Amino acid sequence: MTALFYQSLPASFSLVEALREPAAVAAVRRTAPDELAREELLLRKLGPRGWGRVHHFRNYYASDWGENGRVLSPKALDAFFRFVEEAQFPAGGPSVFLTDRGGIELCWEDREGRPVQIEFTGTGAEFYQAATEEEGVVAFDSLAQLARRLSA
Amino acid sequence: MPLPPGEEIVRAVHTDKWDGERLSPSLFVGENISVSRLAIIPLADHWDLFRQHVQQPPERLLELIAQINVGRLQAIGRDRNPSVELTVEQKPEEWNPAHAEIPQRITRGLANKILPELTLHGPPGPPAMK
Repeated sequence: MTALFYQSLPASFSLVEALREPAAVAAVRRTAPDELAREELLLRKLGPRGWGRVHHFRNYYASDWGENGRVLSPKALDAFFRFVEEAQFPAGGPSVFLTDRGGIELCWEDREGRPVQIEFTGTGAEFYQAATEEEGVVAFDSLAQLARRLSA
Repeated sequence: MPLPPGEEIVRAVHTDKWDGERLSPSLFVGENISVSRLAIIPLADHWDLFRQHVQQPPERLLELIAQINVGRLQAIGRDRNPSVELTVEQKPEEWNPAHAEIPQRITRGLANKILPELTLHGPPGPPAMK
């Protein structure tokens, strides 16, 4: 019964079936175990625009982009996710930028409208707080503390 | 050779440094920041130049051109504590005879003083219909 049914299908069905080659299936990317949680975190803390920009920076900026731009550092990205998880941002969320040295940068304003910024690189995080005119670099193990200090 | 304080310089702003709301301070953080001189190539022609040689479509697009006066830039550096003596040095390249560089290291704090002084130019619109 099934065989008869299959034989009576139009040619277009056969074409679609033919396109389902194993090579196409093998090209599907596997995500990291915590990838879905990270995507949800970005949407919640940075909004659709921030989420979209991170997605673009991760997937479409190959090495040597721009003026000798470096590809986004995996260590910087990992630190970025850890910071975003801890930090509280004002309504509207921060802006996300890719830096030429392969870092990822967050910029927002405090309650008085003064800039707050942090750039995650492969070796640490560089921050700036206009309210105190303080700028500096912290190691990855101080991110949670920095997040609390810079949070809105 | 350093540029005189009266010159105007520009820097290309692409998608990675502009999200439609804020400008990334990293545009001016670091050493040997590339700029271009309006005294050699007019602003309108810089759009074509940057589109042809610097932007990388479809992802990295030229969004704005940021302009600042060399003398103003130097004054911002001098006002910092400690003061920074900024210069803009001619560095013509094959693809851009107007190319120049700011060789000194610009910190994030100093870049934050430069950003509000920039004049941002949007892309030129299509010619008016007759």
